[in-house]
Amino acid sequence: MIFNSLTFLVFFAAVMALHYAPFFSWHQKKINLLLASYLFYAAWNPPFVILLWISTVVDWWAAQWMVRAKREHTRKLWMLISVVVNLGMLGYFKYGGFLLDNFVDLAAAVGVVYHPPGWDIILPVGISFYTFATLSYTLDVYLRRSKPAGSFLNYALFVTFFPHLVAGPIMRPTELVPQFEQPRQARLNQIFFGLALLTLGLFQKVVLADGFLAPVVEAVYDAPGKMPGMLDSWVATLAFAGQIFCDFAGYSTSAIGVALCLGFAMPDNFRFPYGAVGFSDFWRRWHITLSSWLRDYLYIPLGGNRHGQARTYAALMGTMLLGGLWHGANWTFVVWGGLHGLYLSCERWLRSRFKGFTPGRAATLGLALLTFALINITWVFFRAKTFTDAGVVLKGIAGMQAKPDPLIAAGPMILAILIVSAIFGTHLAMRNTTLEAVIERTPSVAIAGIWSVLLFAVIVEQGQGSAFIYFAF
Amino acid sequence: MPSSISHSKARDAEVRGVREGALPAGLRQTASHRPGQAQPVPTRDIPLRPWVKMGVFAFAATTLMTAAWEWNARTNIGLRAGDIDDSPQAWAEARRAASSAEVAIVGDSRILFDTDLDRFEKMTGVRPVQAAIVGTNGRALLENFANDAKFKGLLIVGMADTSYFRPQGVGIGGPYLKSFNKNDKPSQLTGLWLDRWLQNYLAFMDSDYRLSRWAPRFDNGWRKGTDSPYDDVWKISETFPGRQYFMWDRIETDPYLQGHARYAWHGFKRPPLPRAVADKVIERSAEAVRRIRARGGDVIFVRPPSAPALRVNEEKSLPRSVGWDRLLVGANAKGIHADDLPQAQKLVLPELSHLSRKCAAVFTDAYVRRLVELTPRLKLRADAPPPLGRTDCAPALPKG
Repeated sequence: MIFNSLTFLVFFAAVMALHYAPFFSWHQKKINLLLASYLFYAAWNPPFVILLWISTVVDWWAAQWMVRAKREHTRKLWMLISVVVNLGMLGYFKYGGFLLDNFVDLAAAVGVVYHPPGWDIILPVGISFYTFATLSYTLDVYLRRSKPAGSFLNYALFVTFFPHLVAGPIMRPTELVPQFEQPRQARLNQIFFGLALLTLGLFQKVVLADGFLAPVVEAVYDAPGKMPGMLDSWVATLAFAGQIFCDFAGYSTSAIGVALCLGFAMPDNFRFPYGAVGFSDFWRRWHITLSSWLRDYLYIPLGGNRHGQARTYAALMGTMLLGGLWHGANWTFVVWGGLHGLYLSCERWLRSRFKGFTPGRAATLGLALLTFALINITWVFFRAKTFTDAGVVLKGIAGMQAKPDPLIAAGPMILAILIVSAIFGTHLAMRNTTLEAVIERTPSVAIAGIWSVLLFAVIVEQGQGSAFIYFAF
Repeated sequence: MPSSISHSKARDAEVRGVREGALPAGLRQTASHRPGQAQPVPTRDIPLRPWVKMGVFAFAATTLMTAAWEWNARTNIGLRAGDIDDSPQAWAEARRAASSAEVAIVGDSRILFDTDLDRFEKMTGVRPVQAAIVGTNGRALLENFANDAKFKGLLIVGMADTSYFRPQGVGIGGPYLKSFNKNDKPSQLTGLWLDRWLQNYLAFMDSDYRLSRWAPRFDNGWRKGTDSPYDDVWKISETFPGRQYFMWDRIETDPYLQGHARYAWHGFKRPPLPRAVADKVIERSAEAVRRIRARGGDVIFVRPPSAPALRVNEEKSLPRSVGWDRLLVGANAKGIHADDLPQAQKLVLPELSHLSRKCAAVFTDAYVRRLVELTPRLKLRADAPPPLGRTDCAPALPKG
């Protein structure tokens, strides 16, 4: 089930009614939420609920046995069982075909012709997200950062809680399990603010990402045989920057709003990322829950910055390459991650070279623009299906197409430029504040007016119920 | 603000994760500020604003705006509740039903608009499953059925020659075919049912008048070499249960919309199709027909009419003798061409490419009467309605 669907509206109304029904105990309400979350997941593909159960049960018992273990290597063994089961499922469903294809290519390169049977495995929705969420549970227990959850129900609900289940934010058990321990009921102002966030998220997804930006992106990136020029390549790539942000931040905002309506707090996942000055700043603002997960469970264990320069750069590159692969089983995603790793490494070197440099206002703006432009180059690899496609767009971006084809009509192009400029401008203006702080400074009438316009736009756009881009990850 | 909250309240908010009032950005930390730690319950701020009043105002204002929009859709645009629109999910539903159907129809918009399913059923007692898709290569759909081991019925393959013989690509139906197996999920089905239910009451829910579809139409061909949204095909049809398409009545009655719809076809001007491409299409069609017949099914091709102004260009691109005639020979299949049906001559094609609603019934009547002669799978009912003719849908021709 996806937030931008009529089915979800009915589902959510039913969940709210059950959650606020006076005749249920807190324990029963948690069971209701758990069942609703399974229903939410099964609505997409019922058999894959089994994977959720496997992940839940294995990690629950792994943590339990880890705590009971007397010897260190027994603890390690349970941790490894959890890691192998979780990454095994992820590897099989998400990377099986990719590994097989690469094996075939590798074999062919050494002269061995191998024709494996077709790999026709459907990717379970959200598997990358809930695998990371459950892994953080056993890893935190193993690292003695946290105790195991006190009840299986609380833990199962943490894994399955529908607002974050299929596309994040990637929550840690310590963020959510304590919230299930005490009865929670949102106050009216909390519910209405949650609904306002849900409206904002849906507006980003339905109106901006799917309605206005996606067609502009597709006109260039899904036009086989066409050679886009500089204007078309830049506009399509900028539109994709807007689309991927509105798609994913829209999902996160909706998820936070939905959780708030039920009385739960979820963490920020985006903080005006296109207002970033530099790439480390970008990754503190973009998909925060993933970047911090990769930092805590990959970069730091790889050595982080504790073992000299060379090891730091290697850890950085390794983390970003694997982070790229997390996004999709394709070498284009690896290059996307690699470019970000390269940017971060360069930035790290420049910071050590020019210690004490503090940019003024103009320099800050210039650096933000440079950051945004370079991030757009990485989006080419994220969006293009093949390196050939990426090469065509990059050639266009560089203005090197000999006879470019005009691909984007003026109307959609103008609207896309206006939307992306508004996104970039908003991110720059709000980079040092929060949405909540701005709302608090804005007259209530203006907020209510904007809210109604956004809601009206969502209704008039209707949407096609298309899945979020990040669902596929 | 923080100072207005007592220590115990602030502590309570911290534990609960939700606090009244917005924290300064630097104080509301995220996991990025806490490397290598167990992350605490996140803090969410509720800005100090009268949210209930604002919410009531926003919902009331939205209801008013939506009501005004609905009024505008009905009175100014001419949309109607009950025009339930089509979608990949709706097609997937039809496609699943088609697997076990006695008769299914595939092809592009012409066979979709020009077949009156009620008339078909009244005449034969069989209601075909309509699985044609606008702007889509009928050959790709024919192959889709050839790959369906369950299908053993009669497949009517409708075509506009230029669409059927297109050198590459499936057209608009590409995503329909590609995501077919994703469109039968429980959430997709409930979404489809809810959407249809709402569209029975709300006229504005028309995909041709979505915000992002009509907003860019200010672009009246501003950039040469691109398809401007103004010049694109706008709404020309209404859709009813069972994917029954009919010409939108405003195209029949509104000169501006009719003129726009005619212009959008650009005369169906295409460069001449290389014979080798036609041969390839015929070869693939023949293989698909062979496979359907091998398991007990059959295929009959139908070529609905197009207005002379288009027909002349269609013939220039692909003469009947090179396309249609050779397809029937190559695929060893039977076919019904509108040119060969006396009752289907000089019917009304308001925007040159598709029949008017009334004339769709006349054409259906004409081709079904021929169909029952070509296949033993269908029979004319004893109580079938009497034949229709041109006068049942078109104004009288001037004398002389």
